[in-house]
Amino acid sequence: MFYIHQSSCISHQPTFNEVDLEDLKPIENNLVHAIEPKYENVPLGQLRRMGRALRMGVGTCMKLLGTNKVDGLLIGTANGGIEDSIMFLNQIHDYEEGRLTPTAFVQSTYNAIAGMVGMITVNHGYNATHVHRGHAFENVALDAAMLLKENPDNCYLIGGVDEISVKNHRLVSLAGWYRHDNVSNADLYKGIAPGTLPGEGSAMFIVNNKSDNAKAKLTSLRMVNSFDENVVKEQLNLFLKDNPGKIDLFLQGENGDNRLLKYYTACEGLMTNETTAARFKHAFGEFQTVSALAVWLANYVLQNQKLPEHFIKKNSTTEFKRILIYNNYQGAQHSFMLVERVK
Amino acid sequence: MSKIVVTGIGIISPIGNSVAENRAALQAGKSGLTSLELFATRYATLLKFGEIKITNEDFKQQLGVTTKGVTRTTLLALYAFVQAIEDRGFTNEELQSSDTALINGNTIGGMSESENLYLDANKNEVGSEYISSYNLGTVNMYIQQRYKIGGVVNTFNTACSSSANAIAYGARLIKNGFAKRAIVGGTDSLAKFTINGFNSLGILSSSLCKPFDAERSGLNLGEGAAFLVLEKEEDAKGKKIYAEVSGWANTNDAFHPSSLSDNGDGPYLAMKEALEIAKLKPEKIGFVNAHGTATENNDEKESVAMKRLFEKVPAFASTKSNTGHTLGAAGAIEAVFCILNLMHQEVYANLRFEKTIETTGLTPVTEYTKMNLEHVMSNSFGFGGNCSSLIFSKV
Repeated sequence: MFYIHQSSCISHQPTFNEVDLEDLKPIENNLVHAIEPKYENVPLGQLRRMGRALRMGVGTCMKLLGTNKVDGLLIGTANGGIEDSIMFLNQIHDYEEGRLTPTAFVQSTYNAIAGMVGMITVNHGYNATHVHRGHAFENVALDAAMLLKENPDNCYLIGGVDEISVKNHRLVSLAGWYRHDNVSNADLYKGIAPGTLPGEGSAMFIVNNKSDNAKAKLTSLRMVNSFDENVVKEQLNLFLKDNPGKIDLFLQGENGDNRLLKYYTACEGLMTNETTAARFKHAFGEFQTVSALAVWLANYVLQNQKLPEHFIKKNSTTEFKRILIYNNYQGAQHSFMLVERVK
Repeated sequence: MSKIVVTGIGIISPIGNSVAENRAALQAGKSGLTSLELFATRYATLLKFGEIKITNEDFKQQLGVTTKGVTRTTLLALYAFVQAIEDRGFTNEELQSSDTALINGNTIGGMSESENLYLDANKNEVGSEYISSYNLGTVNMYIQQRYKIGGVVNTFNTACSSSANAIAYGARLIKNGFAKRAIVGGTDSLAKFTINGFNSLGILSSSLCKPFDAERSGLNLGEGAAFLVLEKEEDAKGKKIYAEVSGWANTNDAFHPSSLSDNGDGPYLAMKEALEIAKLKPEKIGFVNAHGTATENNDEKESVAMKRLFEKVPAFASTKSNTGHTLGAAGAIEAVFCILNLMHQEVYANLRFEKTIETTGLTPVTEYTKMNLEHVMSNSFGFGGNCSSLIFSKV
């Protein structure tokens, strides 16, 4: 599909400047909050007015755009600046639809991140925001793959970002998707309760068709919509048949929610003894576009040929050439992505 | 390369609940802009809106929606979706096939339930029935689950050009072999969030909007939905073919979060690149369904961009004078109108136009006119600098 050249990532772990995944950073109050860096490449006047998702998204993009010129921007986000949306809604309510200032309204639109980066870097090219929840980043990747078939010499910035803020945390929590008892992220997979730990973050990539100096290749991608674990398993089987060869690492989105375990068990069951199994949501938390961070992690593993112990579920291979990512969001939206080492 | 053609259409807008009703209203120069009757807001009688006079309860009954948490945005989409798939004639097997894609664009999602969102986000101890319905994915999550759509499912958001991009994405999925057929469209419902948002920017008009008029005073918000079924011409043998989707483009104006640049760079590039995809020279475009929101900024900059691109600006008009600005649905609704232009070789009046904008000197179509049309362009521009153009061609 395409080659990944550079990446940047904001998460709860130190991933933005000096990457250090060796020791898992513990969490407080059941929140896998992103550690926001100093945003050196973002104009200060603009930064001040930005909400969290906008800051993280623009910050990760600008880190890559300092040195790269791209032909378009593709961002996946399920919620955009949802805190600003609800802030504006609260103003509507509190001031009984009186005269309001538009900042929160304009900044909360889902496409504000791609729009803002386009504006700051004066990029007139393709500019897309995909928002289909657990398939937002996957559609970004598919869109980029199509653009690179249509325009083989082009180069795009792609990624995924979502925030966890007070209001959307409340909404997802009321819907029953978060743990209410105190859980440490190191113990996320030990519980047998419904619910998980909320997370947030942003991962961006520079992608094109050039293998020279590429860090990794996204070879194949499939999305599945079904609540039936047998359908998911069958689709993974087809995916593996279409992409034959040894899987060195099965990077799966298990999140400690016992209602979703059946999907991961079914898919892991298709792996052989030669495959190492690993998990990532204790490090990044659960959110709709976390699969972008999984691709970032796969990229890291291929580059460094190691994965710290706390990620590992079942150890086998020590050389990593082909990594299969399986993620699912709330049991409804599933995706398989194959990320490979570039020779 | 095989042509991508339209084999099914469905629409609900402030001027009609079917393709036929919409065409009749356009021919008659009817506007669907009124005070609000069904929707409670401080601005109900202060501003004009394109409101669909069907309650959520009536929609649910008509559409057989018994699931909790389905908001108006989804109901409008479902209404148009059902028309489109019935028009094209789908078997369940086809809908569930892994090569049938479903792509939607919208900007409000379930935030149309603003009172419930306010309570859920701030007060409720137990979530309302809409607790998982607020973000934009909600529309296609529901439609996918109801019809078990088997292929790629996506929701696009580029503000007011969302559904234009949903259409382009569907066409590209087919071109690139990721789908055999795509059901593509957009939806939005009136919401306190957008009414107050656009009002805070001072661009809503208290009178009926006058696109491209020198004395235009802002836009009227509307609601609606439309879906198109796209497939390759060779796969559509024996089916009714409405038009070809021949060009598309998505660019960015890269100037300001909520207004267009003086030279209309984004709009100019969108129109130019769509022509390149369609392999057409500008003079081949017979009519432009303009974005034409009737704001001070848009209509002037869109005119500037058209003048830059076209040696002689073709006939153009804004159907937002009929429907109001339906935001995320506008690209899809206006795509249906372009298809009607081509099918019936006719263009519809830009209502209430009186006086040409002095700096641009452009006059839109002011009455119903029969016209020979081979290629029609549709423009959709949005916040965040997002600009899109689509081209439809006669088959």
